Amino acid sequence: MQVSEDIRKAKDIIQVILKSRKILRMYPENNPMYINTLQENYGKLKDYFFYKDELTLAIKQNEILYEGEQVYHSAEKEDNFALFFFKDGLREISFKKGLPADELEAFIKIISLDFNRDVMDDDIVTLFWERDFQKIQYVVDELILSDDEEYEEKAVQEVKEKAATDDDILRAYEEAFRETEQVKDASIVPLVDKDLQMLLKELDEDSADKTTKLFDILFEIIHLSENREDYEDLADFFRNAIEFTTGRGDLYLLNVIMGRLHEVAENRDFSEEIRTFARRVMLFAGSEPIITLIGEVLDGGQETDEKVLDDFLKHLERSSIVPFMKILGELKSIHARKFVIDALIFLGNKDIAILAKGLSDTRWYVVRNIIYILRKIGDKRAVDYLLKTVKHGDVRVKKEVIRTLGELGGAGVLQALRDCLDDADAQVRSSALKSLSNMGSEAAKRIILNKINDKPFKAKEFEEKKEFFEAITRWKDDEVYNLLISALKQNVLFGRAKNYEVRACAAFALGFMGRRECLPLLQKYRGDGNKLFREAVVGATRRLEHGQ
Amino acid sequence: MDSNEDIAVNRISKELVNQISVVIRTSQIHDPNNVAVSALIDKMISMINGLLAYEQMISIELRGDFFYVNDSRIRYTLEYLLNFEYLVQEFKKRELGAVLFRGKVAPDDIQVFVRAFIASGSSQKPFEAIEDKLITVKSLSVDRLKHIVEKNSFEPRKMVKKTYFNAVSFTKGVINKIKSGEKVNIRKAKRVVETMVDQILEQEQLLLGMTAIKDYDEYTYHHSVNVSVLSIALGQRLGLNRKLLTELGIVAIFHDIGKMDIPYDILNKPTNFTEDEWKIIRKHPVWGVKALLKLKKLDDVTIRSAIVAFEHHMNFDLTGYPKLRKNLQLDFFSRIISLADQYDAMTSSRVYSRIPLSPDKALSIMMERANAQLDPLLLKFFVNMVGVFPIGTMVMLNTKELGLVYESNQLFASRPRVMIIIDKEGRRIKGTVVDLAEKNDQGTFARTIVRTMDPNKYKINLAEYLL
Repeated sequence: MQVSEDIRKAKDIIQVILKSRKILRMYPENNPMYINTLQENYGKLKDYFFYKDELTLAIKQNEILYEGEQVYHSAEKEDNFALFFFKDGLREISFKKGLPADELEAFIKIISLDFNRDVMDDDIVTLFWERDFQKIQYVVDELILSDDEEYEEKAVQEVKEKAATDDDILRAYEEAFRETEQVKDASIVPLVDKDLQMLLKELDEDSADKTTKLFDILFEIIHLSENREDYEDLADFFRNAIEFTTGRGDLYLLNVIMGRLHEVAENRDFSEEIRTFARRVMLFAGSEPIITLIGEVLDGGQETDEKVLDDFLKHLERSSIVPFMKILGELKSIHARKFVIDALIFLGNKDIAILAKGLSDTRWYVVRNIIYILRKIGDKRAVDYLLKTVKHGDVRVKKEVIRTLGELGGAGVLQALRDCLDDADAQVRSSALKSLSNMGSEAAKRIILNKINDKPFKAKEFEEKKEFFEAITRWKDDEVYNLLISALKQNVLFGRAKNYEVRACAAFALGFMGRRECLPLLQKYRGDGNKLFREAVVGATRRLEHGQ
Repeated sequence: MDSNEDIAVNRISKELVNQISVVIRTSQIHDPNNVAVSALIDKMISMINGLLAYEQMISIELRGDFFYVNDSRIRYTLEYLLNFEYLVQEFKKRELGAVLFRGKVAPDDIQVFVRAFIASGSSQKPFEAIEDKLITVKSLSVDRLKHIVEKNSFEPRKMVKKTYFNAVSFTKGVINKIKSGEKVNIRKAKRVVETMVDQILEQEQLLLGMTAIKDYDEYTYHHSVNVSVLSIALGQRLGLNRKLLTELGIVAIFHDIGKMDIPYDILNKPTNFTEDEWKIIRKHPVWGVKALLKLKKLDDVTIRSAIVAFEHHMNFDLTGYPKLRKNLQLDFFSRIISLADQYDAMTSSRVYSRIPLSPDKALSIMMERANAQLDPLLLKFFVNMVGVFPIGTMVMLNTKELGLVYESNQLFASRPRVMIIIDKEGRRIKGTVVDLAEKNDQGTFARTIVRTMDPNKYKINLAEYLL
């Protein structure tokens, strides 16, 4: 290869590396662009290594040289490929023949990282070093690591000034002959297999996470703290460690720490200052940053023992309700949502009013979840808040609140449910009916009966009428029985089809009443000409005969 | 060749060296014809011939303390340590530098080699003895051990010096920055320690030699770096990988960070501390934790640093300070750094006890402290690392020469390399380094240590000789 051809190839390779760097920053590993650019890079280098054994690039501040010739130049401060290496002390990079594709990929991946981020604790040389390349070598100027370039010279000078005099050394020599103590036999005990076994065990144990140990130390430092400033610092350390632990997804450890803090907070042998400190840290563990992290961890699909989560919740205060509500709408996984809902069921009891604030959330599914949570808590104090939600714009929310109101009962509920029976949406009406039925009170019965007796009732769809009749069978008293018998017998001249529907519903409901005295009457209608009515009668008869 | 193949070749090479060691060890007990040995030889042959299928020749060469297979250094893990060290020792004993295999190797060839190898152990000229026996074997030959040429030692020494002083200068900068509440560049810390790790892996003795020089004014910074160097060196002996060695080195640099809060007057007090002053001194582990946890966002290295800063004055039996309410198991790094810390402190003149000890005396005190203050297992590795006569020990030889231990000998602990400072005529000289493992024409050791002396007593300045 001619020199000029070499230089052209070197320039080419740098350009392809720069292109790959851009692409790797933009696309994920499985993207064809990502794969193609690496292949292109590998191909260029392979082509170069067909003629040469090594590609060595000298790095200057604003240029890259190949065999003394400039192959890259930039005077920019931001996007300067030469400076990118130069600032970390890299002065030369060599690619050797036989460079494997994965090594090249690792190299490009490293140079594609954003080293301007504060969170990056490694510079480019560290990452190269950790990767331990076999076919990529580099030369580094270590002087950039020194804070004082003349330090070595000064230190050596200073220490050499203390050199012993000839007299001192000769005195040592003379006294060496006077010393009577001879050197002892070598006391080194050779290493044996048992030592290695023990060491392996140590190394194995050492691989465990160290956060628990850090907490152990922080707990010790609680008792070594002396003043307010000490406690302030320590509280920060605990907070950081709790955040770190949670971010790593170690909810087990988080729970253990909460247990230990609880013990400290409850231990009357400790000073009030220490106990207050422990309570403060516990409050932090239930605060928004931590709860958000827990949500992220659970949403990330991490399996966590339910008992651990339940135990953790026991240590939280009502101040955690709002953070939990905040993440409720963000979570994607059922597992994570279930945990948060369980958490709110547990914590909500401590402050229904705060929990009820979630009913104002703009997201229908959050409101529905909060209603569910209030129902599970079962506290009648929630009714006032729920009644305001009955008129929610989303049917799914309405259904949930109707069901909940039905279960909770209380003042205002009947009126609300009665209103819902007239709702324009059939699903809402149906839910209200079920709720009234579930309530089982006399007043609820009266509302349903009145509806059935209302003139417009007959005009309803058959299925809805059937639901009403089924609902009323919740009360198996004479009043209901008589109503059903009366409806069963009812004949009309006009609107016969709708009347038959009512009669069929009555027959259907009688089957559920369990009163066999109506069997003769039902037998009477077994041969009726209306198919719908006849089938309902046969079904009810069968149900009663078989005691179902 | 792709990287998977590289890994496979390295693994096979490592296993081959290990297998040679196993064969030779077993042959010390059984005849090479014995079924126990022949099965091992068969396995060894299949490894060699496997490699010879791709290469014309396989050379297993000893350079320094490392084996190279076809010029590639074999990195081995802890499980191979004893076998590798055994083989290094046996090769060195025989002046054997390399074994070369070519063509196709047969069991008889290996049997001849093994017999020659074992028999040469008692020979005056072991290498020649092996070479003679192998004349008829075509598939196998040997080379004499090449000694590292002294004239090349200048550059590595210069690099090691630079690395060491960079580290001290960096440590000084970091401590001053922390004191003044400035942000600390952790990327730089990693770089500094990575370079030290590299030097330990390649030039262990030279960097350890730097820790033996104790007369600097800025004790605190030198001590931090010395503890880091000694810890990394011990960590390497314990089989820690490069990443863990870096972590250990960083943690060690920061182990005494809490001391920066001790008032200057106390820290540099020329007389013994009062009880009140001790109370303040004993707080520095907790202050260290505080300084480190304020330094940056929590990560694994910060956590480890805080743990070690807290525990480095706690003894193996959990006495020491700080006093704990609940017993903890000392961290592995804490126990390593404790050893390095004690050794460096005892051999320095600016410590609480105020009495600097010679390296060998410090070591013997440390051995008395095993189990109670120091982890006995780690101490065993530490003593094996620094040797019976650690670098800097002043020694009188049977040749009436006075010298300073310059480099330890990992295989013959009592036979280090020594820099002669007074010759047998009683004249002061400078710079001649002798190897106590060298034998004279009669086959006996040319020089032997007869007594050790305290260099501090005579104000002998190691810097004059080692820098």
